[in-house]
Formats: sequence, structure tokens, C-alpha cells
Amino acid sequence: MWWDALLDPFRGKAVTIPPMDGAFRPNTLLETAETFAEAAHPEALLVHEGRLLVASGADLLAFPLEGGAPVPLHRFETPISALAAFPDGGLAIALVAGEVRILGGRFDGRVVTEVAGRRVHAPTALATVGDGVLYVADGSARFSADDWQSDLMAHGASGAVLRLDLVEGDGRIVADGLAWPAGLLVEPDRSLIVSEASRHRLVRITGDGRSKPQPVLANLPGYPARLTRAAGGGAWLALMAPRNRLVELVLSERAYREDMMAGIARDLWIAPQMSSGNSFLEPLQCGGVVTMGVRKPWAPGRSYGLIARLDDRFRPVSSLHSRADGRRHGIKDMAEIGGVLFAASRGGNAVLEIETGAA
Amino acid sequence: MRLPESLSRLIYNAIPSHLVGEILTKRWADNLVPFLLLAAVIAIFGTAINGFFAPASLLDTTRQLGEFLIVVIGLTIVMLGGGIDLSVGSIYALSVFMSVVGIYLWELPASLALVLAIATGGLCGAFNGVLIGYLRLRAFLTTLVTLIMGRSLYDILIIAWGRELQMSPVLNDRFDYIGTGSLGGLPVSILIAGVFALLAHVLLSRSRLGWHISAVGGSRRSAYNAGIPVRRTVFLTYVISGLSAGIAGFLFAARLSGAGPGTGSGLELAALTAAVVGGNSLGGGRGSIAKGLMGAVAVLTMTNGLIRLGYGTGSNQLVLGFMLAFAVVLDIRWAKNRHKVLAEVYVAPVHHRMSGDESALPNGGGAYALNDRLSDASPIALGEVEGPEDVILDEDGNLYAGTRHGEIVRWFAPDYRRSEVFAHIGGFPLGLAMDHDGAIKTCVGAMGLYSIAKDGEVTRLSTETNRSWASVVDDARLRDPNDCDIGPDGRIWFTDSTTRYDAHDWVLDSIESRPTGRLLVYDPKTGKTKTVRDGLRYANGVCLAHDGRSILIAESWACSVHRYWIDGPKAGSMECLIADMPGYPDNINRASDGCYWMAWLGVRTPTFDLSLRHPGFRKRMTRRLPGDDWLFPNINTGGVIKFDETGRIVGTLGDLTGKSHPMVTSMREHKGELFVGGILNNRIGRFRIPGADSEWTSWKSYWSGKTPPVAEGDPSQAARRRDSAETALPEGRA
Repeated sequence: MWWDALLDPFRGKAVTIPPMDGAFRPNTLLETAETFAEAAHPEALLVHEGRLLVASGADLLAFPLEGGAPVPLHRFETPISALAAFPDGGLAIALVAGEVRILGGRFDGRVVTEVAGRRVHAPTALATVGDGVLYVADGSARFSADDWQSDLMAHGASGAVLRLDLVEGDGRIVADGLAWPAGLLVEPDRSLIVSEASRHRLVRITGDGRSKPQPVLANLPGYPARLTRAAGGGAWLALMAPRNRLVELVLSERAYREDMMAGIARDLWIAPQMSSGNSFLEPLQCGGVVTMGVRKPWAPGRSYGLIARLDDRFRPVSSLHSRADGRRHGIKDMAEIGGVLFAASRGGNAVLEIETGAA
Repeated sequence: MRLPESLSRLIYNAIPSHLVGEILTKRWADNLVPFLLLAAVIAIFGTAINGFFAPASLLDTTRQLGEFLIVVIGLTIVMLGGGIDLSVGSIYALSVFMSVVGIYLWELPASLALVLAIATGGLCGAFNGVLIGYLRLRAFLTTLVTLIMGRSLYDILIIAWGRELQMSPVLNDRFDYIGTGSLGGLPVSILIAGVFALLAHVLLSRSRLGWHISAVGGSRRSAYNAGIPVRRTVFLTYVISGLSAGIAGFLFAARLSGAGPGTGSGLELAALTAAVVGGNSLGGGRGSIAKGLMGAVAVLTMTNGLIRLGYGTGSNQLVLGFMLAFAVVLDIRWAKNRHKVLAEVYVAPVHHRMSGDESALPNGGGAYALNDRLSDASPIALGEVEGPEDVILDEDGNLYAGTRHGEIVRWFAPDYRRSEVFAHIGGFPLGLAMDHDGAIKTCVGAMGLYSIAKDGEVTRLSTETNRSWASVVDDARLRDPNDCDIGPDGRIWFTDSTTRYDAHDWVLDSIESRPTGRLLVYDPKTGKTKTVRDGLRYANGVCLAHDGRSILIAESWACSVHRYWIDGPKAGSMECLIADMPGYPDNINRASDGCYWMAWLGVRTPTFDLSLRHPGFRKRMTRRLPGDDWLFPNINTGGVIKFDETGRIVGTLGDLTGKSHPMVTSMREHKGELFVGGILNNRIGRFRIPGADSEWTSWKSYWSGKTPPVAEGDPSQAARRRDSAETALPEGRA
């Protein structure tokens, strides 16, 4: 009504987040999923030459698809932040140090640290097109790839998507001003779907980078990370952390946020995390109080496990969850092959195996 | 714009913003809007009209006010009972007529004329009352009908008898005095109205009928279920209203010495407006005489003022109509949104800077470093007990604990598999202490201090303390009595944790961090409770020191333990024993080796500590987020800390897995074992203490070697007293 305008200054402004409903109705499919392998901080997955490659910290491990002990492929100086493969078998490996290395294939040994004059600062996702085109999602121009929380809390919007033609050698900034792009999916028409984590949405970027990013899915109940093409059409989207009203409030509270960032260790911030419950120094919200020995699954938390199945128009149709009382949180990446979806739970230190018929 | 911390500290700590919420919880807060309206009306007309405040003018106004006020009071009582009376105007007119007839035609004395007027009013009111109360017709339609009927009857009568009345030669001095005389500078009518208002106020606020009327108006069905005679109560409200109109009519007749065709017309609108503008709810249940008084003064000032400013009856009625509409809207909006406003403004955080950088991390290396030893505790009553805040054992080893169902449950030694409800109190029994005779003293959350004799009989000891003079909320009430202990002289020292929140909302007090906790003492000799210390940030555990000369008090949100001297040269003073702990202390109890056990209900987190320095952040948090999303101190991890007489930390027990004992609120040592309780837990832990004295019990440590005060006429106790006469008696007990 008209008087709302007059009364609004006197009213509290409720902080709201999209509800976990509809396609996001909670279940325990991730929590009860089979463990494919234990791995410390799995950050990226890739099915490559009949093996599942897992980036676990600075180690690149290769697991046989039928299960079993992994073969260590390579150890880097800094943690791996993303993986991609070329059709000729060459691997593109992004490192937290801010570079992309090519291992094997015709570009073996190439190291990418700069594209079109922009230093690769936080490579969070990679995608390849054709024989030699590499897309790099650069999360931020300020923070490194494992420091998303700092970028989020600083209201960062300095991410970019870079395109590098390894054959021709020319590079281009396809889009910039993005709030932590964390996932890439190349469409058949060569446009790109980018998950913009800190703005909780997916945007479409045309391959030539001439038009502005168009939102294709907004108001997600979590922070989107990687996208993977799903076998039956559409895509899988990993949501690495849940949205939380208290976090949203802290994002609007400058003084508190600045003091928190300056004086408190990052793992203890009121900020989304890949896992929680590791230390009693972590923040607690009222709904998370353990009562009669039970932690409520609906409790507001800093971490969550969530994968969404999107249809070919990027509308969510179903989802898999590990809720506040679970451990398989912080899903960063997925890979699907032969009716099985592998999911990397960074917070749960495990690679999960889900029959996709069940999703 | 960033506020400097010192400025924010000044703003949030110096301005008593919590009073806004406290005032809103008061029933009289409803009076603020009508009061402001009254002040505004008087200010406007007082300035617009020359000579408004002149004595003659005021005298005339108050004379009218007397009659009007009485009618408004009657209507207020009807509205409070959930009804409405539109017929007051006609009843008033009929009473005027009967008074005039009584005086001028029948030549009755003034007193009989008054009786006649009152009887007329009462009869008309009873007619309404029977129709609405007993036959349960709709109040609005019924009184509309009686309004029309009464008005028609009056018109018939005044035409038939008007001439004779005009011609009457009778002079009645007393009647004229009531109408025009003054007593001590005040018109007689306003004095009568004043007495009437006082009586009505006493009736409504102090008498059984008054409470019945409020109850019926608030909720007819509940009132019926509570056994209140609803129909009779409704009937009586209309009778009272009729009587009021009768008295008012008599006063009018006395003032004007006659009756005319227009007498009392439009009175129902003015009276209704006055009652509603004053803040009496049309829905019933909310209202008071004071509200009626304010409304009456405001409406009368306005109507008279408008007439004196030259506006006619039409515009007068129009303004009244607008006022009524506005008041009705306000009434409905206020009744609907009051609790929302209250919920938004009640939490009023203060700035508080925590200090101390000791860590409780297991690998932190400090004295407080928690461990996982408590996860080995074997559970008692797992899944059966809910919320054992405190636990205690008797000399036979039986275990007692309060539960959130308001019961004290006893588990039988030695295996604690069998249990019984030892006593049902209600509330939430929290701290326990055992007296020399085995009676259990307990602080019951939301209720007070209670005693349970060995046979399970419950006695109320104390539910109130002295009220502090500046308090808005009634701080005499014990809101969150938390823990108690018994001094050597039998006085019971206990804490009331906060005056701001009820027992079940205790964690909200941490968000506010306002120091309102108190240390109280109950003296069984006088039966009185006294506040000995206030200004504590959630006063919690209480424990009598081993030498019985001081008590230890846990101040939870300040993470401190204090020693309050009850004996010796420092009696009455308090000193800090342990400060700046990394956890929030709860109950404290004696240990067998001369040390003390202290429960930690939670541990500090850096984010919460930081939020204490940002009161604005917490304020906005409570306004903008639902309660489940509020930042809490970490009460999912607790522990047991042992400290010695000097406050040095001797050892810790923790359960960092959080599976058995996430939060610990109490522990009691008994024969080499530690029994552990938690207010949100579903078990009592039983933990063998390595190297502890397997004969030591808490009761013995308090009472053995001491002579209990002897109950007169109890030969066995008297004998025991003689036996122990040789042994040294404690000081001052012989």
C-alpha cells in the first residue's frame, strides 16, 4: 500500500535467501552416496583415457574407473585448482600459484601465465574447444584461486573469462567484471555458460565476447561452482556452499566485515566454507545448536553439499544434497561417465559415486 | 560510514535503548498515543481560542465534562466486556426527563429524583443486558434498536409533558446546587464524576467482577471455560452502562433545570469516539478508565473548541466521525502489529569488549586446553531424560536431576536404571543444592526458589526480591533463577541470571550482553529475599567455598568467576577470582581434593567476541534475521574445568567429538565419580575420576561434623545434638 513507503524507514529490512524448494527440495542422496575414493581436499575431477583424474591438493591422482588404488601422476609445487583435457590427450592443469600448465599432447610443457595482457591470477575453471582453444575462468584479479571467501567478502567483481588459442597464439579477454567465475561449459554454438559464484547465477557469454553476459539462471540457493555436461542432455551444476542469511547480513555490514577479515583466521569467518564443524572456534547460529544430541538437518550452516541437475535450458530439475547434519560438503567438481556421476566433496575429503539413474 | 568504536560504545551503552522494549511490554504503553493526542488537542485549542484557560471557561467545560465522563466510563466498561452500547444517548435523555419530572411535577426531593434517574437508566440497561447477555442478540443491532426506541419514547414524552414542565413553579435549591454550585472551586458534577471514575477504576482493576469483564472481553470462550459466568457478566456491563447514563442524565437535568427536544442526541457518537480515541479496543479486553478519561477530555475539548471557533453542529459531527475512524484504524493496526514492533525493538545490545587471549584448543598448550576424556563417560538415562541442567546425589547414592518438563527425577543407586518422578514443580528446575536434612533446594527457571523435602513435598521459598526503584519491568520477579547453594547459617545464596529474558530464552541474553544478572540471598528465618549484588553479565553457578566463608559466582557472558565474601573482614565485598576464560562458565561445585569443578556451557568464538564490539551489527541482526539465523556463542562445545582456591586451573575434561556431552552445564562429584549434566542434553554422564577419594560426597563435605539446627520437639535430633555437643561447633552456632 502507499503507506508502506512512509513506514519503510522504521521497519527492519529482512534479509532473505532463495528457499531450498522445488527442484532444490532437500534429500540425503549425497550423504548416502557410495564413496568412490578417499582423497584429501579433492578440487577437480576429470575422466581421461579410461581413468578418473582427481586433483587432491598438489597431487594429481589417477583412479581406475572400476575402483582401486590410485596412481600418482604428478606432484606440483602448489595445489591444483582446475583440470581440462584436449582431444589429443594433452592435459591442462591450473595451479593456485596462478598459471596453467599443459602436460602431454602437442602443447606439452606450455605454461600460461598471461592472456591478452592480463595475468592469470586465480584460475578456477578450464574448458577446451577444438584442438587448441583453451578457456580459463580467472576468479579474481586480487585473490588466488583458493581464496574465494576473501574475494566474496571484499565484494570482489574482478573475475574474467580468458580465451587462448594455443595454435595461433592469440589471447582475448572474453568477459570481465565477473564476481568469481568458477565454472565453464561450452555450448554447441560456441557460446559459454559461466557460473558466477559470488552473484549466485549462471550467465551466458558469446564466444566473441562482444555482448554483455546474459543471466540464464539466477537466485540460486547456493554459490555455483563447476558445470559438467550431463549424459542425457543438460548439465550438472555443483553448488559449493549454501547461502546463509547471516553471511548475507555480514556482507552488508562493512565495519564488522572489515574487522573480521583483518583479525580472524579465514576458516573461522562468518563466510561460506567447504566444510564446517572442524573447530569449536567456528561461528554458531541459533538453529545449529545441538539439542538432545541432535543437530538439526535444516540448521543454517556455512557449508553444504549440493549438486543440481539442469535441463538443456539450464533450468534446475532435481538435486542431490548433503545437509547441515552431514559431512559431504563443498562439492566443487563432477564428472559423469557410463551412468555414474563422480563428485568431489572438498569438505568431506572424498570422491563420491552416484548412479545417475537415481538422480 | 564507519562509527569509531569509542563512539559506538558511548551510544549503545549510555543510551538506555532497552527501555523502549520494556515500556512496550507494559499494558500502560497503550496509553501513550491517546495521551499525546490529548496533549495535542489541548495545545491546539488552547492557542487558537482566546481565554481558553480562563477560570470561567474551564469551570464551564469541566461541568460538562462531569456528565460526559460518566457516560464514557459506562461505555468503556461495556466495550471492555466485548460489547458496545449505542443507546446511551436515549437512556441519558430518558433519565433527564425522569429527573425533571420528579423535581418539577411530582415535587420530589433531589435525592429521590436521583434514585428515579438511576432506576430509569438501570432499567433500560437491564433491558439491553437481558437481550444481549442472556438472549445473546448482537450488541450493535440491539442497542441500535433500543437507541431508536428510547429516542422515540423520549420524543413522545417531551411533547406530552413539555409544556407542563415549562410552567412548573417549583424551585429546588439542592437540585440547583448540584447543577450550578461549586465545592472548593470545582463544580459538583465533576466531583461526582471523579468519585464515580475512581470507583469504576477500583471495580475494573481490583474486583472480581472487573477481572471477569476483562476476561470475557478478551476471550469469551476462554472465560467460559475458566468458569466465569459469561452471560451474567455481559448483562452487568449493560446495567452499569445504563446506571452511568442515568447519573449523567440527572446531572444534566440539574445543570439546565429542564429538558428539550434535542437533549442527548448525538451523545452516543461523542461517547463512542471518546472511548475509542482514548485507546479502548473495540474488540474488547483492552481498556481502562484512564483511557476513557483521556478520550473524554480530548473529545469534549475539541467539540467545545470547535463551537467556540464558530463551527456548527454539522462540522462538529464530521470531525468526530473522522476522529473515530482514525482511532479505529489505529486500534486495529496497533493490536495487530504491537508484538511485531516489540519483537523488533526488544533486543538492545550493548558494546562489550572481551579480553584475554588464552586458548582452549587441545593443542594450544594453555591450562584450558580441552581434551576428549569426557567422551568416555557412560550415559545414564540416555534418551529418557531431557535437559538435566544440574544433578545431585544423596547419601544413599541416588541421583536427582531437573528436567525441562518441570520435574525432578530420581534414579536409584547403584546402576541408575530405575527412576521415578521425585517431585513435579513446573517451570524448568535448574540448580540444585542439598540441605543438612536431605531436602533439595532448587532454582526453578521462570518461577523461583523451591524446596523439596525428603518425602517429595514441594515448598515455595521465594518468588520475588526487592524491586529496584528505577526498573521499568518488574525486577522484583525472579525471571531466570539459575543456581543456588546453602550457607553454613542456612541462608540460601542464589542467582537470577537476567531481568531481560525468560528462562527458555537465556541465550538471547548473550546477544544483548547487558549486565542485569543478580546475586540474591534468601533468609529462611524471615522468609525474605534480598538482592546483594547486581550488574552481572548472566550470573550463573553458585558454590559455597570449602571453608564456608565465601561463595563463588560464575558470570557467564563475562567468562569470569568471582568470590563474594559472606563472612570475615571482607564480608559483603566481591573480588574477581578467574577472569577472561576462553569458555562460558556455568555451575560450580566442590571437588574432593579441595578444588572446585566448573562447567563450561560453551566456548568463545572469535566472530562472536568481535560482534560484542559491534552492537549495531547485533541490533540489525536481530531485526533483519529470523531467530534461527542469529549468531550465538558456541554452546555446542563445553567442558569441565577444575580450579583451586586461588583460581589456578588444575585440569580440564572435554568432549570435542560433541557426541556425548556437547554442552556441559553441571557436574557433581560423588564417591570418586563425576556426574555430568547439560541443559540441552539427553543423558547424564558418569565419569570415573582417576585418583579421587572414593568415600567423599558433597553432602558430607557440607554437613558432616556440623550440627544441623534442631527442630523443636524432635527427640532424635535433640539427642544427636547432645551427642555432638562435645565436638567443636562451628563459629556462632552453639
